[in-house]
Amino acid sequence: MYVLGLESTAHTFGVGITDGKDILSNVRDTYLPERGGIIPSKAAEHHYSLASKLIEKALSESGLKLKDIDVIAFSQGPGIFAPLKVSFQVAKYISEKFNKKMIGVNHCIAHLEIARKFTGFQDPVMLYVSGGNTQVITFEDGYYRIFGETQDIGVGNLLDKVGRLFEIKFPAGPEIERIAKRGKRYIEMPYSIKGMDVSLSGIETFIKRIKNSYRIEDILFSLQETVFSMLIEASERAIAYCGKDSFVITGGVAANKRLNEMGEKMCEERKTKFKSIPMEYAGDNGAMIAYTGFLMKDYQQNDLKPKTNFRTDEVKIEYR
Amino acid sequence: MKIMSVGAESKVFLNGNEIIKDRIKKGYRIAELDKKLRISRTKLEFKILNKCYSLGIRVPRPIKLSKSLTKIFMEYLGNKTLKDNFNIKYLNDAAMMIAKMHNRGIIHGDLTTANMIIKGDKIYLIDFGLGYFSQKTEDKATDLFLLKNALKAKHTKVYKRAYRSFLENYKRYSEEYEKIAERLEEIESRRRYIDQG
Repeated sequence: MYVLGLESTAHTFGVGITDGKDILSNVRDTYLPERGGIIPSKAAEHHYSLASKLIEKALSESGLKLKDIDVIAFSQGPGIFAPLKVSFQVAKYISEKFNKKMIGVNHCIAHLEIARKFTGFQDPVMLYVSGGNTQVITFEDGYYRIFGETQDIGVGNLLDKVGRLFEIKFPAGPEIERIAKRGKRYIEMPYSIKGMDVSLSGIETFIKRIKNSYRIEDILFSLQETVFSMLIEASERAIAYCGKDSFVITGGVAANKRLNEMGEKMCEERKTKFKSIPMEYAGDNGAMIAYTGFLMKDYQQNDLKPKTNFRTDEVKIEYR
Repeated sequence: MKIMSVGAESKVFLNGNEIIKDRIKKGYRIAELDKKLRISRTKLEFKILNKCYSLGIRVPRPIKLSKSLTKIFMEYLGNKTLKDNFNIKYLNDAAMMIAKMHNRGIIHGDLTTANMIIKGDKIYLIDFGLGYFSQKTEDKATDLFLLKNALKAKHTKVYKRAYRSFLENYKRYSEEYEKIAERLEEIESRRRYIDQG
């Protein structure tokens, strides 16, 4: 049995194919704005224009034909509406035309399932950090529950906003990391954590105010140290509170080496297992949608419409 | 000295009839930030304990701060929690204390029945590790919201009756109950909205 998965919640259009055991293909293309942030309609246009080409590529990489596919899974949310609806419409079209079962997958749960697959961890706490999402998620009582999250903006979003103050191109994360390595002096920044929730927007406001008084290296160094400390602290609280034995970081911001180093150190100190997952599967991708679609293949879903605010704890987990 | 518990940010030791709460070093944070956070949080917690104690709210009697400013010495109250020995009478008593705390702008930040200790026939509030000072209605309402969720999760069978009784007593001592109740409802509907997507 083969599942084809479509991801389109934000910048990336991704197509993945799995037989439930292996990932047979995982192709994608990311829309990059010339300047500034994401323009939803442009991202959607980008996704529509590449959809059929990427689906063909994924099929040929896995040596399959569309007729071999049994289930079409798509990212149902959360996400930005214009790009989000692309995977829904493409999935619907294929499903109706070729008579295939359609499965709507929660994007955040898909990140968690692919992380479980690649780390081998049965029941980890997951820190999911991307442009729009910043959440601490773990399994409890039949659902994936959000134990902590940002009360305002996502961490990737914060990095991009700060990046713009210094004319760093989108996505700003990698360049911020490179410059931060040269920073030495720690500048105290708003450290805002309540229980397992964090607020991040105060840091942007703060940096706007001090940006001309310090070296950029020190500002970006302090930015990373402050924000990542908050995220790791919230994660540690969730690990302690839920009594879990493993921890994984995923999402686009998981590419940051310093964040991983901090996660690893925290786990070492409390004797919790830690693993990174390959970036190919940490960023948004179609394989995670396909794989989660495979896990959910027996679900009977009534509501397949895109949900921009789709919560992880809306989905009853019946397969574990 | 016996180790009592290890939390995410501190270790608690028992020494005779004293408790020592030690905020431990976190190697993942740079030393400068780590030290700053541990000291400021320990000082704040000690200050809140002192304030509560002087207001006659039953909390462990604060004894002293360590020289490092990262440890609090306080009175040991035993380990009989309301969580394991649930009784509405004690919860009503706690409601009175929480209302008085809120009147004075003290937020507990982690209200659960595990953080309420029964000693003799009295109830005590412990663990102000996430506490802070605030007169914001939102913060007080959030404090109550957390307790409501904790009751629902841990005392499911009696939760409705317990929570109603808690609110009645809280109302009796609160100086701004109407505002807080209104905000509490708002927080809940916000939450419902999010839960529904």
